[in-house]
Amino acid sequence: MSEDDEDQSPPSDLRSQPPPCSPNKSRNCISSSSSSQTFPDHVLENVLENVLQFLDSRCDRNAASLVCKLWWKVEALTRSEVFIGNCYALSPARLTQRFKRVRSLLLKGKPRFADFNLMPPDWGANFAPWVSTMAKAYPWLEKVDLKRMFVTDDDLALLAESFPGFKELVLVCCEGFGTSGIAVVANKCRKLKVLDLIESEVTDDEVDWISCFPEDVTSLESLAFDCVEAPINFKALEGLVARSPLLRKLRLNRFVSLEEVHRLLLGAPQLTSLGTGSFSQTHQSEQEPDYAAAFRACKSVVCLSGFRELMPEYLPAILPVCANLTSLNFSYANISPDMFKPIIHNCHKLQVFWALDSICDEGLQAVAATCKELRELRIFPFDPREDSEGPVSELGLQAISEGCRKLESVLYFCQRMTNAALVAISQNCPELTVFRLCIMGRHRPDHVTGKAMDEGFGAIVKNCKKLTRLAVSGLLTDQAFRYMGEYGKLIRTLSVAFAGDSDMALRHVLEGCPKLQKLEIRDSPFGDVALRSGMHRYYNMRFVWMSACSLSMGCCKDVARAMPNLVVEVIGSDDDDENREYVETLYMYRSLDGPRKDAPQFVTIL
Amino acid sequence: MENSNSYSPYSSSSVDSTKPSPSESSVNLSLSLTFPSTSSQRETSQDWPPIKPRLRDTLKSLCLRQRRYNTALFVKVYMEGVPIGRKLDLSTFSGYESLLENLSHMFDTSVICGNRDRKHHVLTYQDKDGDWMMVGDIPWDMFLETVRRLKITRPERC
Repeated sequence: MSEDDEDQSPPSDLRSQPPPCSPNKSRNCISSSSSSQTFPDHVLENVLENVLQFLDSRCDRNAASLVCKLWWKVEALTRSEVFIGNCYALSPARLTQRFKRVRSLLLKGKPRFADFNLMPPDWGANFAPWVSTMAKAYPWLEKVDLKRMFVTDDDLALLAESFPGFKELVLVCCEGFGTSGIAVVANKCRKLKVLDLIESEVTDDEVDWISCFPEDVTSLESLAFDCVEAPINFKALEGLVARSPLLRKLRLNRFVSLEEVHRLLLGAPQLTSLGTGSFSQTHQSEQEPDYAAAFRACKSVVCLSGFRELMPEYLPAILPVCANLTSLNFSYANISPDMFKPIIHNCHKLQVFWALDSICDEGLQAVAATCKELRELRIFPFDPREDSEGPVSELGLQAISEGCRKLESVLYFCQRMTNAALVAISQNCPELTVFRLCIMGRHRPDHVTGKAMDEGFGAIVKNCKKLTRLAVSGLLTDQAFRYMGEYGKLIRTLSVAFAGDSDMALRHVLEGCPKLQKLEIRDSPFGDVALRSGMHRYYNMRFVWMSACSLSMGCCKDVARAMPNLVVEVIGSDDDDENREYVETLYMYRSLDGPRKDAPQFVTIL
Repeated sequence: MENSNSYSPYSSSSVDSTKPSPSESSVNLSLSLTFPSTSSQRETSQDWPPIKPRLRDTLKSLCLRQRRYNTALFVKVYMEGVPIGRKLDLSTFSGYESLLENLSHMFDTSVICGNRDRKHHVLTYQDKDGDWMMVGDIPWDMFLETVRRLKITRPERC
């Protein structure tokens, strides 16, 4: 079964046609035997509906919809949660035509490499056509979850006005809106439970949006605004928290001081997830608040993040909650090993840990010694330059693998890595599903043997049999890709940068990895031969991204011609020369509704 | 299966250096003679390593903050006879001359190093060991490492 996309739709002869009999009967009772020929269909439809409404997984639903026309129709009626992995794979109209009773939409826009400035701004992924279409079709919509979409204040206003029962808005890595749009949502969505703004660009319109929440008791369960770079009205926030008895998750931005967090905590001990604001004392008071006492009162806190502008002397205030923590995010705090060890020593239940590499291999060893339940580790570089020193190495990651056998997901930035360590890690952690290693120096080999990192990554794909996501780095030859093609049978997402020797590398992957859905490649010597070798795969993939490779315009045009349902975008830089043969960036994806009409000037759709 | 048209400045077996030299990396990044690559332009831009711009900016400010804490060198400065002192960041000065100039300006009098003089104020400092010494005898860098506080003495005192 290929990926759980909405556009996994059956061939056109199974498209929606009028049902054989009246659909107006009550759905919850089996009809009496009045009509003759249509009776079995109608009964079956009712039964199916009652059964299919319990199907939650998209995978199962996609499978069910392919059984026959009836099943397709009933499944479409009972699907309330729709996932669209690529907003350009289909038009909003197609969504509303097929699924009539949608309550929740998860929509993704730009490809991930756009996060790293590899794509000019204003590429697209506009939410506007979606919200305007859904406003008419789904008045009972409750939840919208967007990732990498361009959302305007007008879109947010339309959303707030059109859906009276709206409950959850989650915006991850989005942009295009500001605090005025948020204010409208806060004000008009009276049943709002979740307002999560995560890693999004929010312009400061100098609107006191916190004060825009309604005056009476709210249904708020989660409020996250750590990415909003604008001061907020703390008094209003305090009032809001006080009248939100269901609030469990609160993520503050850096404009909330430690003293203010202290006051909030005293008023909201029921919190389970807290993102602190700035973790530093702004003015010296004679009597310093007892921060530890405030944290101690929060017996339910299991998730901590924030720690902006950390003053290390205040870190021990969180000690009272360490024993309960399942998730800890220190990725905005420059913490040395000495500061770190006393804290982590208490975190026995930790499952998710994000931090900067300033904790060094020593800090990671401390994690390995204590956090036996660790599932996810992310280590970001404090000094993200290629020639930086790199306080963490293969030693830290290997120690983690030895101490934390339940590890499932790794994201690790470092400067030094060895094949031996990767082999050991692959043997220690059989549960790994996500392995993303970024050796920051480009083409860097094993720092002990000087060899390419082929054997190490080969061991990872071979021994980690559950691996679905892989990001490789360091010096890699075609051999590494041969391993990936041979062993990476479950890999769905692959990220490649500055790797490989020839087209054969990419061919190995395209021919050997049947589950591959998302392929993102940059700065690697893969050309036309490689691109052509994957043509049997592209309709079964969500997208392919290739930038700064060796592709020619002619070949891309050939692919576009041969595959009419594939949208082949060539994204150029500022160069106006349209007759260039060289393709700077290729982004291609399947689409049911043809190429998009909102492509900007720098995008050429072949 | 052998690679037919592979172009690789590195063979898989023998790489001694842990980091490619600048000329090698620029050759490798251009990938091929036929297709010019603009990725060399990206070497200095913000797209590698793959970190989101927000984290990158936060890290930059963290780095700057750390550098400031590490290198700032605030010491107390007293004028003899005056109970309230001043504070001065010595790391902002390049040497004794600029220090004296600044002090003279700050206290509105002429401050000099060494050489007892009936007319001028003389600058002294307390070092790591707690001893009071005449400013100007040791190299500036060494001075920065040992100085704890400064005192401007009245004339004819030393």
